[in-house]
Amino acid sequence: MMQRAAAPAEPVTEEPALRLPPGPRFAAVGAEFVRGAGLASGIEPRLAERLALIAEEVLAAAPPQAGLVGLALRDRRHAVRLDVEFTSTELDLAGLDQSRVRDLEDGEDVGLYLAARLADRLTTEPARRGGLVLGFELARSYPPAPSASVPEALGPLAGLPVDPDDATLALLVDWAEAVGEGGPAFRTAPRVLDQRRVGDLFARVALDARRRPVGGIFWQPFGRRLMALSGPALLLPEGDARQALAAALLEAALAALARGATQGLVVLEPAQVLPGAFEVVGHLPGAAGGQHPVLFRAMEEDPGGIAWVSPGLSAWVTAMVRRLGLGRDIEAPPPPARALGAAMAAETDRAAARVTLRPLLAAGDAAAVAERNVALFRGQGFAQIRALLDLGQPGHAAFAEGLMRAGLAPAALIPDAAGDLLLLADGA
Amino acid sequence: MKAFALERLVPAHVRAFEAYVPAPPDDVLLRRFGVTHLHRLNNNENPLGPPPAARAVLARRDAGEAALYPQGDGWHLRRTLARHFDLEPEQVILGNGASEVIAFVIKTFCEPGDNILTADRTFAVYEWMASFSGIEPRLVPLLDHGFDDVGMLRAIEGRTRVVFLCNPNNPTGSWWDHARLARFLAAVDGRAIVVVDEAYAEFAEAPGFPDSFALMRQHPNLVVFRSFSKMWGLAGLRIGWMAASPPVAAMVRKTSISYSVNLLALEAARATVWDLAHIAATQAHCRAMRAGLAALAGRLGLEMLGGIGNFAMLRMPIPDTVVHRRLMARGVMARAMTSFRYAGWLRVSFGDAEAMAAFAAALEAVLAEG
Ligand SMILES: Cc1ncc(COP(=O)(O)O)c(C=O)c1O
Repeated sequence: MMQRAAAPAEPVTEEPALRLPPGPRFAAVGAEFVRGAGLASGIEPRLAERLALIAEEVLAAAPPQAGLVGLALRDRRHAVRLDVEFTSTELDLAGLDQSRVRDLEDGEDVGLYLAARLADRLTTEPARRGGLVLGFELARSYPPAPSASVPEALGPLAGLPVDPDDATLALLVDWAEAVGEGGPAFRTAPRVLDQRRVGDLFARVALDARRRPVGGIFWQPFGRRLMALSGPALLLPEGDARQALAAALLEAALAALARGATQGLVVLEPAQVLPGAFEVVGHLPGAAGGQHPVLFRAMEEDPGGIAWVSPGLSAWVTAMVRRLGLGRDIEAPPPPARALGAAMAAETDRAAARVTLRPLLAAGDAAAVAERNVALFRGQGFAQIRALLDLGQPGHAAFAEGLMRAGLAPAALIPDAAGDLLLLADGA
Repeated sequence: MKAFALERLVPAHVRAFEAYVPAPPDDVLLRRFGVTHLHRLNNNENPLGPPPAARAVLARRDAGEAALYPQGDGWHLRRTLARHFDLEPEQVILGNGASEVIAFVIKTFCEPGDNILTADRTFAVYEWMASFSGIEPRLVPLLDHGFDDVGMLRAIEGRTRVVFLCNPNNPTGSWWDHARLARFLAAVDGRAIVVVDEAYAEFAEAPGFPDSFALMRQHPNLVVFRSFSKMWGLAGLRIGWMAASPPVAAMVRKTSISYSVNLLALEAARATVWDLAHIAATQAHCRAMRAGLAALAGRLGLEMLGGIGNFAMLRMPIPDTVVHRRLMARGVMARAMTSFRYAGWLRVSFGDAEAMAAFAAALEAVLAEG
């Protein structure tokens, strides 16, 4: 059998895009474009309408100095996404910060705030030519899968796990779902296939001698340099064959990721612990009380790096760095260059009543902004509040004090020499 | 500047490629890991250093000569090597390490749409250089930790331009003997260039190790790589070489970079050719260190893998990347092999006795932590 080095995921089609001047005058034009282009590309009318509203709000809120604003519609299959590109780096993002709405006087920022609220997920990335891309994502809904019946006598693993074709992957997901294996990532085959088609999910599936799926393992992008591992979903009964299957699937995943851009694998909700293969880098409180470990597997040697840590966290981080044997220069961050205007982005998962906060823009008021964000989402009934800080970014440290004041505590340190991720959680 | 669209100017295969980031210098590592000394067992360097004649050449150099260019294609060294291996000087091409020679070969024979063939678990640079040159690397899985001749023959097709064999293989130490390589070349039958990377050939003591220069006379598609970094202790000067049949060498010369090998490297390398006492001393050192490592592996209950070369691999009960870090924190650098697709394995070079003892003590302590 031959392997090929992974090719980057290419966009599925040409994507409709438009550039418009900022401000209210062109907001309706932008909305009409998104609505029309969405319908023309076959996006559900309900989702196209929501994206059109987002485009309208963002354009209306964009200040005159923002320069031309780019709108691009991306069909991610399992989600639709509107990318709004600002070429100016001087953009004030405070309006995206959901916690700010009560302080806002002028309508511009309220528009950005509304847009942020309309999305299921908001991401921010640096634009190719400087500036910023805001990604507003809406999840597509899938009808629940009819229950499949899993064959009685699946054989043991035969040969190396494969990068499965669609039919095999769908069968694995149907069967895993039927027996409750693998966790939420292994739910509804059409969604998994869509995720994989656009490069948001990767899989290895183990087959028995009759080429039937007996187990699978998935991984999905987690931040810029990591992947989150899900599973394995194992369809064999308890015993040596099941254990060997789990080990083979993990080995196949590691081999597939080796020599690529991925620095490590994180497991936030371990369905099944693979002993020896991971290290415990922290603990998260579970939804039903108790705690579960956060697991990590580095793909590359860690040559050491810098961790920018605020005074209140330095004891915890230092102890963790020592426990994990990391080579880190632990430094106190310089004060942020901006006095005011710190902002955080929130990624909400309404089904799990979970929100994850990430710094968007560092400023002197970062701690206060962080504190307000936590209060806001608590007030909205979110049961699980998490925050992810990149310790490679000196600006992120300033948010930590506010998060801790609001009751979050450090839960896990996910090692990455270019910037460890500090995961904070409510009640950790 | 109005619109510098960098991405538009960069080929997709370069954009998609992840840059290799070497480890930082020792002073930075010492500080970060909080240690005062680092034993380097991660790069397969020779703890004996260069042979005496090369040391003498280096000691004699006048710093003022740094202002002058070296001779552009290693005139004297090529003749010295050619005499020793019974080749024509034109068959020998030098590079800034064998690594650079890999690039010459890919540039000479491949264009977009072509592919190269190698193993999944071998020296990474063949795969990398192909990838960032827009050439597809096709990887045939190792079979029982060795290159799979049948699998590789099956994988050769119309657009396969170069087959890279690593013999002995880094990191497994596995190797093909003369008869097996000869059979493989006969079966390839000139359909592709076959490169045999012999960076570790001088460590071979077994009588059946290939005489590739002899095979080259029957198989003009055979290219042999050698390095001065391993046996010859000149890794810091960056010099390696290849030999090929005259017509193949004439092609590769077109894409080779003149003046890429520096003055000191050329002269030191020439002085090493072919110091048998140095080879014997290094081999004896490797034998002793290999035996010591095998004893350690036995004591700790670790599987060990190795063959020819100044390195061996040990299978860890915990992630290799964790062991790597914890060893660093104890002043020992070994190589975590997940990136070689050997997840869970650690590669250790045969350093000096003190370094090997430090490694043994540190590994024992790390594994005791669980
Ligand atoms: C198999 C193999 N080939 C080539 C090289 C590169 O050698 P050089 O230092 O001459 O570039 C190495 C170095 O590790 C190697 O292991």
